[in-house]
Amino acid sequence: MTMKLPIVDADRVGDGDGSLQVHLDPSQKIEGALVIAVYGKGGIGKSTTSSNLSAAFSRLGKRVLQIGCDPKHDSTFTLTKQMVPTVIDILETVDFHAEELKVEDFVFPGYNGVQCVEAGGPPAGTGCGGYVVGQTVKLLKEHHLLEETDVVIFDVLGDVVCGGFAAPLQHAHYCLIVTANDFDSIFAMNRIVAAILAKSKNYKVRVGGVVANRSKDLDQVTKFNDAAGLKVLAHLPDNDAIRRSRLKKCTMFEMEPTPDVVAIQDEYLKLAQAMIDGVTPLPAKPLKDREIFDLLGFD
Amino acid sequence: MQLTLWTYEGPPHVGAMRIATSMRDVHYVLHAPQGDTYADLLFTMIERQDARPPVTYTTFQARDLGGDTANLVTTAVRDAFERFKPKALLVGESCTAELIQDQPGSLAQGMGIPVPVVPLELPAYSKKENWGAAETLYHLVKALLADRVPKPGTPRPARPEGRRPRANLLGPTVLGFRCRDDVREVTQLLGQLGIDVHVVAPLGASPDDVVRIPEADFNVDLYPEVSRTTAGWLQRAFGMPYTKTIPMGTGATRDFIAEVAQLAGVDAAPVLGRERPGVAGLASSQSRAPWYQRSVDSTYLTGKRVFIFADATHAIAAARIAAQEMGFTVVGLGTYSREFAREVREAARQYGVEALITDDYLEVEAAIAAATPELVLGTQMERHIAKRLGVACAVISVPIHVQDVPARYSPVYGFEGANVLFDTWVHPLVMGLEEHLLQMFREDFEFHDGAVPSHLAAVAPSAPAAGGAVSAPAGEAEGVRTLASVPQLQVTVAMPAVTDPAAAAAPAASAGPVPPVWTPEGEQELRKIPFFVRGKAKRNTEAYAAQHGIARIGVDTLYDAKAHFGR
Repeated sequence: MTMKLPIVDADRVGDGDGSLQVHLDPSQKIEGALVIAVYGKGGIGKSTTSSNLSAAFSRLGKRVLQIGCDPKHDSTFTLTKQMVPTVIDILETVDFHAEELKVEDFVFPGYNGVQCVEAGGPPAGTGCGGYVVGQTVKLLKEHHLLEETDVVIFDVLGDVVCGGFAAPLQHAHYCLIVTANDFDSIFAMNRIVAAILAKSKNYKVRVGGVVANRSKDLDQVTKFNDAAGLKVLAHLPDNDAIRRSRLKKCTMFEMEPTPDVVAIQDEYLKLAQAMIDGVTPLPAKPLKDREIFDLLGFD
Repeated sequence: MQLTLWTYEGPPHVGAMRIATSMRDVHYVLHAPQGDTYADLLFTMIERQDARPPVTYTTFQARDLGGDTANLVTTAVRDAFERFKPKALLVGESCTAELIQDQPGSLAQGMGIPVPVVPLELPAYSKKENWGAAETLYHLVKALLADRVPKPGTPRPARPEGRRPRANLLGPTVLGFRCRDDVREVTQLLGQLGIDVHVVAPLGASPDDVVRIPEADFNVDLYPEVSRTTAGWLQRAFGMPYTKTIPMGTGATRDFIAEVAQLAGVDAAPVLGRERPGVAGLASSQSRAPWYQRSVDSTYLTGKRVFIFADATHAIAAARIAAQEMGFTVVGLGTYSREFAREVREAARQYGVEALITDDYLEVEAAIAAATPELVLGTQMERHIAKRLGVACAVISVPIHVQDVPARYSPVYGFEGANVLFDTWVHPLVMGLEEHLLQMFREDFEFHDGAVPSHLAAVAPSAPAAGGAVSAPAGEAEGVRTLASVPQLQVTVAMPAVTDPAAAAAPAASAGPVPPVWTPEGEQELRKIPFFVRGKAKRNTEAYAAQHGIARIGVDTLYDAKAHFGR
């Protein structure tokens, strides 16, 4: 195991509330590629958004790597058409001697050349998901995979706030937050913004914007965004084609091109192009829980 | 990580030193304490280099740790650049310096040094020497070629009409195994096919040579432990194919000729036409080895039990030679190169043994003792192990001792390499033990169980090993040792013959089925068998007894087994 001591930078004594943030091991730094982490409340459509966004990047000619960070490892199955084994599953087969692995053992080619990895994780309630994400990034770096990639997308688990939740923040340039036009997912988004803000003191991560998913209207989202300084980057309607695409194990780009489907494809392509062109980081500021209730709670 | 007295590989920064020392006009600034400068001696003593490695150590001391060690780095980088005027600078840290987190690579990159500065991040606590060498070569080559990589998808331009095909030889380094001579041999081999060697890297290459790598048609991945990462990248970035065959042994050399001829688009027939696989006679190959292996004087080689443990490249190649060319039986195959564990497991399956993948020499020693080989092919450590066990040994891989860097031309690759391997593997074996000679001299006073091979006299046990409470009769020491092959095993192997079988069987009970025990009469009869085949007879009889559920081996069992296996 590599032992690293935290670097304490005198100008940056701002870890907040007396805590000392352990800094990222520089050997795990991802250079070159644009790194995006997709966050949001459980079940809100993070994997759907990630996979379609990966597909969109690949349609724009980018070399894309999608890393599923959820122990239930279903992030990439619409890309690969299968439940691929996780990095942890594969490490187990070689008794955690990572040196024995080859890239093709844990990276699986998906739709339009998108490279797919499922980090996997410990059984629910045990272990540390953050460790697994860290090991995965280390492995990808050691195999020089990230040096030959343009875009890396972390699809983060939504159910819990723990190491597994925080680890991708250390690698990402931008976070996209997936939400619906309802109180619960906006409430979760607020907490995610707070977490990103805490991390951004030491890491380059910034809030990229909001993906409004599965929503006809945007009134609630807009109200919150105005208060918290966020912005909608993409708006996906509550369309049955998206649900059906998951049942068919494919991305939206492989669906029958009806006008609905084409409009959704264009929305993902627009989002991807915007991320390539450069997103202005948002000066996001989370609201206090009470403030959200007052803002959205009872109307 | 595990504490140990000795390791097969050094830390990864030693791998980086091997790359820097192999090359010209490359300098390596190593953020390391004074003590780490010991690594210089590997190059000047073992490899007998005539100059110190091109490495500048920052040599921080305990008192520096309270101050600004980062400043030491920038000073060392600037001084090294001004003094040595390298064309490329490698900057990294040793295991000790990794802990103080100065990021010397990033520091040096920000200094405005007017030559390529390649930062090396080599995690010392999870990676080892060969990985460090491979990573260093990869990053150096990539940095020097960064602005020459064509756009992805650009087709590789065809070889101009009239220009001879060109190959680069990738991977030879100082402190590798016979790299200097292998390069000459492989260059000569490619020359026979009309292929020019364009760049040899890292051995003898300067950064200017590295830049010329893409001008060749393909790469020869000569030592995959060091060069596979780079060869793979050159294939992805420049569309340059690389060879997969290691030309070690006659058969593999013939396969290599076919492979490079195909990659170069030349006809292999003029060279391969002179090779006649399977034909006995001096004229059947450019190498003398195939005929020597088949000559009547080599009959005693057939079926010799050989245990192989080395880096993956040499281990796999040696196993093929042993099994298919020498006629040996491979009783063990393993490597410390975890990066290539898969290939070694694959090879081991072919020979019906389980691969031993470890970097713990004690585990290797135990496996060798258990396999009771007659010849060990390994590294410097296996030489020690074999000496302790009184078994013949030849070194086929790094880590090496000074005697493995001979002054004479002594390759292990190519046709001449096959000759060298034949000699070096056969000489340690006791020659002249052909059956007819044994029959003739059986009663000779100098020729008895207790006599030791003259070249192993130094390790002849004059008395049973300290731990062995067995009272082996005088003059039986050699015989018992042949039986068990290892003094330490006398206790477990020989005890059943002289003590109460029930008591002897007890310690073994936990390790699965109880092995059959020898009755005193059976043991007596076994001793009548000439010692050089006694080990085999004992193993066969025990296997026969185990198969037939016989718990006690008497005279009858011995002869039943003989009849059974003699059919």
